Amino acid sequence: MVALARKTLIYEWRRFLPAMLAVGFAGLLQLLQIALVLGIFGSTSLYITGSSADVWIGYPGTQSVGSGRTIDADVESHVLMDPAVQRVEPYIWVDGDWRGPAETGGVSVFVSGIDPSADGLMFSKALPADLRARLAEPDAVVVDRSVLDQLGVELGQTATINGHPVRVVGISSGLRALGGVNVLCSLDTARRLDDDPADAGPTYLVARLRDPSQAEAVAARLRGDTAFGPYTTWSAKDFAKISVRYWLFDTGAGAGVLFLAGIVFLVGAVITSQTLIAAVNGSVREYATLNALGVGVGALRKVVLEQAFWVGALGLLGAGALGVVLMLLARSQDVPVVLNVPAALACILLVMGLAAVSGLAAMRSLRRADPATLLR
Amino acid sequence: MLTATSATPTSAPALLAEGVSKAFVSGQQRTQVLDGLSLSLNAGELTLISGPSGCGKSTLLAILSGLQKVDSGRVHALGSELGLLDLRALERFRLQHTGFVFQGFNLFPALSAFEQVELPLNHMGLSRVEARRRAQESLEEVGLAHRMRLRPSELSGGEKQRVAIARALAKEPELLFADEPTSALDAANGQMIIDILHRIARAHGTTVLCVSHDPRLVVHADRVLAMEDGRILSDRRPHAPDASDHGTPS
Ligand SMILES: Nc1ncnc2c1ncn2[C@@H]1O[C@H](COP(=O)(O)OP(=O)(O)O)[C@@H](O)[C@H]1O
Ligand SMILES: [Mg+2]
Repeated sequence: MVALARKTLIYEWRRFLPAMLAVGFAGLLQLLQIALVLGIFGSTSLYITGSSADVWIGYPGTQSVGSGRTIDADVESHVLMDPAVQRVEPYIWVDGDWRGPAETGGVSVFVSGIDPSADGLMFSKALPADLRARLAEPDAVVVDRSVLDQLGVELGQTATINGHPVRVVGISSGLRALGGVNVLCSLDTARRLDDDPADAGPTYLVARLRDPSQAEAVAARLRGDTAFGPYTTWSAKDFAKISVRYWLFDTGAGAGVLFLAGIVFLVGAVITSQTLIAAVNGSVREYATLNALGVGVGALRKVVLEQAFWVGALGLLGAGALGVVLMLLARSQDVPVVLNVPAALACILLVMGLAAVSGLAAMRSLRRADPATLLR
Repeated sequence: MLTATSATPTSAPALLAEGVSKAFVSGQQRTQVLDGLSLSLNAGELTLISGPSGCGKSTLLAILSGLQKVDSGRVHALGSELGLLDLRALERFRLQHTGFVFQGFNLFPALSAFEQVELPLNHMGLSRVEARRRAQESLEEVGLAHRMRLRPSELSGGEKQRVAIARALAKEPELLFADEPTSALDAANGQMIIDILHRIARAHGTTVLCVSHDPRLVVHADRVLAMEDGRILSDRRPHAPDASDHGTPS
């Protein structure tokens, strides 16, 4: 079989270049956008995904980790009575006002008071063991490397949160927050920093189960009791979902992302289809000749679609290569970018869909390949 | 025994048109291009349709080859009535039985001469080996054996038209249609093209219908139909012993 589509693509590559660039840039934009969204909004559930708790207990109606209210401390013993539960620990969230040694003014910080013991659940996956151990000292805090400038502080220096002195004993990475700065400390330190007299108990209780796969069932089972004031339970997975969804949809960020994705798709498809249409028009007499010789319209359409496919594949290849480079660059600059397999697949699907739509549009101009027009 | 001139058809004609009419309407204007035209062509002959520009030659060719529908009348090609075939069936008919050569060469810039010829064969259900054998043979027949690997940009106009002829010829069609195949070429190249077409009619028994307003081609044809205003004015056989008119059909 003579590979007409491929040979034309190679021989007339200049003609197809705009389409490949359009597809490539559309792919790259979608890729980076998805990676950024996953990175930024993924950080809103870092508290959950970075910890090894299977079940979360908090105030009913809580929509994101940062908007929790205190619950009764006695819930802890109730939860511990469930035979499926292996360990329970409190988690205290305090909104704080940071004043660093450098002239930075007040910085809004999210204080996470966690159990600093070696087998603590909170941030077990995000916080190295030695840093966690150091939190046991009174008034010790750990902050993310990326926010040092913002906080105007360096390792070993002191600052104040809500007027109470704290000391930076460790610098971590991967603890960026959205809309503020994460500061990690021990439960005791957090209680001292909390200047709201109404806050009596912990913001959350987090529990590890003997069998993590039971999270849904145990969460449902623990939910029923009302003897200890208002509280509810979520499996860690559900709570992470709720939290990300809150940021994506209730803040309008998600709509913006979808809107941009739509625009990129549209612009990419317009440029690509115009290029492919021009390529078909450029060869319309040759196509018409083939049709005169009896080569079916279906076979000609296949040639156009195959060209669209190659344009998509080559554009994707370029986008992929450039995307990896840019993501590595972003990582090195502590820009939160994350790419997982479903997101990458979604990107590939989107780009190939774009190429397919453009190919279909170009296929329509094959109608002009009427062999009767060759006879004049 | 019939005479070698085969002045009378030996069997059913390869192409038969009966009372064919065709008009084009553009806006208010209606142009009657063909008006009740009848015509019968024999297998193995090179027939030339000559006439002034705009007299309906190309339209007649398009109708006889099944590329255009008639308004009224009938066309029989190799025993099939073309008017009864749908678009698919017409494509299949053309695939199996017809070859075309156009004024423009219409070659794909990206393909070598060999690939231009091989491409349509791929769609005929031939094996790869058979397709290549035929492509090779056809290119040799038009004298391009040594230019097979070249792309159109590396070929002269005459060579390009010979590739186009080889592309049609390799299908081994019973009917070969050529519309002004020489008008983009100089005299020498035009001469060569018409010689090749003539040879094809002789060697393969192909019915070749060639349309041209070029009077120089007349001497090469077995039969010349002179057309004017959508009608055939005369029907001559330049090389027939008596060389007289056989009357005007229709
Ligand atoms: N598709 C069409 N639409 C309108 N008019 C046409 C069309 N095709 C041909 N014609 C007209 O029909 C006449 C005959 O055309 P054509 O068969 O191409 O002539 P020739 O090939 O003899 O020069 C011309 O006047 C031309 O303008
Ligand atoms: Mg014409």
